[in-house]
Amino acid sequence: MNQFLTLLLNGLSLGCIYALIAIGFVVVFKATRVLNFAHGSILLLGAYVVGRTHESLGFWLAALCGIAAAAIAAALVELVIMRRVRGADLGTLAILTLGVDILMLTELSRRIGTDVLTTGAPWGSDVVEVAGLRIPESRVIAAGVAVVLVAGFAAAFKFSDWGIAMRSAAEDGETASLMGIRLSRVALTAWALAGALAAIAGLFLASFPSPGIDAQVGLVALAAIPAWVLGGFDSIPGAIVGGLIIGVVASMSAGYQNDLLFLGRGLGDVAPYAVMLLVLLVRPSGLFGSREVTRV
Amino acid sequence: MNEHHRPVPGREGRWTRWSIVVLALTLVLALAACGKADDDEGSGGEGGVKTGPGVTADTIRIGILTDLSGPFAAGIRPQVRTMRLYWEEQNKAGGVCERKVQVDVQDHGYDPQRAVSLYRSMEPDIAALMQLQGSPIIAALLPTVERDSMFSGGMGWASVVLPTRVSNMPGASYSVATANAVDFLVEEKGLSRGDAIGHLYFEGDYGEDALSGAEFAAERHGLKIVKQQVTPADTDMSSQAAAFRRAGVDALLVSTAPGQLASLVGVANSIGLDVPIVTNMPGWNPSLLRTTAADALREDVYSVNPVAPYASDEPGARKAVELYESRYPKALKDWAVPLGYAQALLMHRSLEAACERGDLSREGIVEAMRTLRDVDTEGLFPGTVSFDEVGEPPTRSVYLTQVDPDVPGGLKVLKTMESESAKAYEFKEN
Amino acid sequence: MSERLGAIARSRVARAVWWAAVVVVALALPLYLESFWLQTALFAMAAVIGAIGLTLLVGIAGQLSLGHAFFVAIGAYGYAYLSGAEARGAEGASGLGLPPLVALVAAVLLAGLAGALFSPIAGRLRGIYLGLASLGLVFLGQHILFNATSLTGGFNGRDVEPFSLLGFTFANNDPDELEILGVDYGALERLWYLGLALMAFAWWYAHNLVAGRPGRAMAAMRDSEVAGAVMGVDVTRYKAAAFTLSSMYAGLGGVLMALAFGRIVPDSFGLLLSIDFLVMIVIGGIGSVGGAVVGAVFVTALPLVLNRYSDSLPLLAEPGSGGIAAPEFSRIVYGLAIILVLLFAREGIGGLGRRLLAPLSRDRRLPSAEPPRTTPPSDVKESVT
Repeated sequence: MNQFLTLLLNGLSLGCIYALIAIGFVVVFKATRVLNFAHGSILLLGAYVVGRTHESLGFWLAALCGIAAAAIAAALVELVIMRRVRGADLGTLAILTLGVDILMLTELSRRIGTDVLTTGAPWGSDVVEVAGLRIPESRVIAAGVAVVLVAGFAAAFKFSDWGIAMRSAAEDGETASLMGIRLSRVALTAWALAGALAAIAGLFLASFPSPGIDAQVGLVALAAIPAWVLGGFDSIPGAIVGGLIIGVVASMSAGYQNDLLFLGRGLGDVAPYAVMLLVLLVRPSGLFGSREVTRV
Repeated sequence: MNEHHRPVPGREGRWTRWSIVVLALTLVLALAACGKADDDEGSGGEGGVKTGPGVTADTIRIGILTDLSGPFAAGIRPQVRTMRLYWEEQNKAGGVCERKVQVDVQDHGYDPQRAVSLYRSMEPDIAALMQLQGSPIIAALLPTVERDSMFSGGMGWASVVLPTRVSNMPGASYSVATANAVDFLVEEKGLSRGDAIGHLYFEGDYGEDALSGAEFAAERHGLKIVKQQVTPADTDMSSQAAAFRRAGVDALLVSTAPGQLASLVGVANSIGLDVPIVTNMPGWNPSLLRTTAADALREDVYSVNPVAPYASDEPGARKAVELYESRYPKALKDWAVPLGYAQALLMHRSLEAACERGDLSREGIVEAMRTLRDVDTEGLFPGTVSFDEVGEPPTRSVYLTQVDPDVPGGLKVLKTMESESAKAYEFKEN
Repeated sequence: MSERLGAIARSRVARAVWWAAVVVVALALPLYLESFWLQTALFAMAAVIGAIGLTLLVGIAGQLSLGHAFFVAIGAYGYAYLSGAEARGAEGASGLGLPPLVALVAAVLLAGLAGALFSPIAGRLRGIYLGLASLGLVFLGQHILFNATSLTGGFNGRDVEPFSLLGFTFANNDPDELEILGVDYGALERLWYLGLALMAFAWWYAHNLVAGRPGRAMAAMRDSEVAGAVMGVDVTRYKAAAFTLSSMYAGLGGVLMALAFGRIVPDSFGLLLSIDFLVMIVIGGIGSVGGAVVGAVFVTALPLVLNRYSDSLPLLAEPGSGGIAAPEFSRIVYGLAIILVLLFAREGIGGLGRRLLAPLSRDRRLPSAEPPRTTPPSDVKESVT
């Protein structure tokens, strides 16, 4: 029972991190209709900046730098590249982000090389005991941060000018712009926000029990795609729920893999994708997403 | 309008132009790449020394085909640097057989496709491979290097390469090293009949070879081995640690890369699994002391090394360290440095022996290597090494070291071991 | 009148001469190329076959797939298993020992079968959903490759039995010494011809397909599924057919890849390979068969060739020094190429080439193939009849 609860809690906290990444996917998709393959390398950029600067700037300033770097990079991608192909079909846009991803990932991998960078986080490898269960402190903090961010984000989405602008732009872009909403600004803020969220997620991903920041961290963002799909492409609550579910799935399958050896080792890495395939088969629009409408 | 006399840039005009272009290109290609029909024999054998590809009158060219950008690059880069420095030094002192030794380094990034392609392009110009690294790459190229009679050093310590005549293993195999480790645990860590040892190992030649040695030694002592197999892609050892604890192990053996060792040690510490841990050499990298697992690594963690570690007092190791620090004073200090020196030394001795026998062809270098017996490496390898028996490792001794953050390289030598199990271990013919 | 006939006759002759020259050169190249170039060419040929399959799927049938590596793996491992000898020593990977030709055909059919099994999913999902589902397929596939050790040899992979036909082996033995015009014909030289034959067949088949009715039907489907259905195209059937065909191409490419390596490992068949194929067809121009050839050669050969000449190229650093070495440089080129092509030259190299050579050939390309659409275009594209 102990193991089950530990895995569950670990999974939920991991799921919060996935949720942050998945929200980034949703926000970009809602604002610009792009499946952003470059999200992973933006996440890695944020983590990399933290890894390289925390020794000279201290953790908190370094974290700020990392978040800013990721947000700026994301905004630049939208500004310089994606804007030029506004209106192209999803496939073109997706492959375009793939190109950006290749560029960024190559350069970042080269710079990281074989080092494993640490984030210099103050919670280090401390472990917290909750009701007899041991959970890494970094995960508890990650969950807390995620909750705060999501709550704040939801409020902003519902009540702020920007949130309304985003929602109307996603509903009906033409009408929105006719009503005076600057679509370009909405898009830019959406991308920057997604980048910032990714950087925060990356920070926690690279903390204990993970060894640190290496070139593989960017691939982990890919694992949030199942969360995104599960939740439905354009739903933020969906992204959160999807993230939590996928986090638990990953944690459980990794934790019990010794009992499930017939399914193969490395189950924890592949289970999210199996779930994603299942979702796409049964209900492509995900748990909370809107169904696609075909027009002739 | 005189249409009949105007030159027509139409269809057939374009065709003719294109045909000419193609034929011209073909001609150029033929001239440029011509000459394949000639068989390339080594040029330059004077003074009676037989030569082969890669050897001229004043140079010997040797190759290194290794992983400099993939998963194991961290431990390999210092090796390559040291090997380069070694030959720079030797060339200044006159080289080998009155020839300077040139080193051709290629990076396959652990990609067998690149490796196969790189070998093809390197092969005609080199006389020997000082290092060929990477299990799947070795598996892919072993038949080829045997057929090419290409001296292949630095292929790691997996027993699977021992039956190959051209292989030059830098020290005791994993199986022998791990057998030594088990004996150490029994002799000095109080393990006794009926106890269990957990073994975390990589799938493939490395881990399975180590496991073979562990099981052999365990059986001799009446111990049980609890196996947990992982791949280099597995980075989180939480479930394996939990399984070890459930099985009640009294010690741990680790035959993986540094990432897995760090994860296991860190997680074991956090779940209260406090047992002595012995790793094979490739599992150790001093940068682990800068990660969150650092504190856990200070306690009761050991390493069985076929080659002297960075902090060793042996004259051979000191030479390697001095050479390395003269050029790279700030670089990471690691066992890779003495290892690189040792590999270069073995290459050197083989070349010297080949020179004395008057045959610097590829076949000659391999044969010369196989005459080496009781070579003294000034402590780089514990004791002496011999290569005259194909299928046997050059030695059955290892250095037993302990993790100590206060020494450079993080490993402190405790003693030399050639335990009973290690001596008794039998290699199977593959 | 007779002048016109004469002109046509001359152009026919010229075309015949052109093709004859190409064939002669292709057959004679192993006499001149050293092993590095032959090896690179073999990798490129395998990539060409796979790329043609993907461009048919993405460009003609309009379905974005990230799962190409999965079907390539089925071809490669299928051939290795079907033709492989019994387990050797500690290898652990078994085989059925079938004759290589049978194994080759069976592996391709197996890949096609997998494609056919996946096609109902492909049929239900559109565009981006399909892309994501295929992403899942790649990861799932790799998981199986790593774990089904008795079939695949697990993490360290397995050897591949050399191809042989009617007693002639495409390896360094059987016949042990084969000399043609003074040149020693070993494994690489012999495989060259096999690769050439397979590649030529793949290209010819695709070329005809695109120009024929299936090609036009698929293009109609790509531009607008609903419109295509209205025009009488059985969309589901064509989607399934497209997927199956593309998987067979991938499978054939996989077999050639396995033969070219000699040993296959699961790491080679991951997301990176799928992305590489996408890069190939984007650079070549999505939907262009000729473009797929160019793109495949470019993507495969660039890093290997750059690596070979890295000493003489000032930009490239020494391997392992932390600078930009050949592999990184190549990937940067790919990333840039994708961005530039999609931003400024949507039709890729295939499109450019077509414009250059347009007066020469009867135009066998359909108008404006663009990357798959998930929302129908607002205006109707050129009608296809």
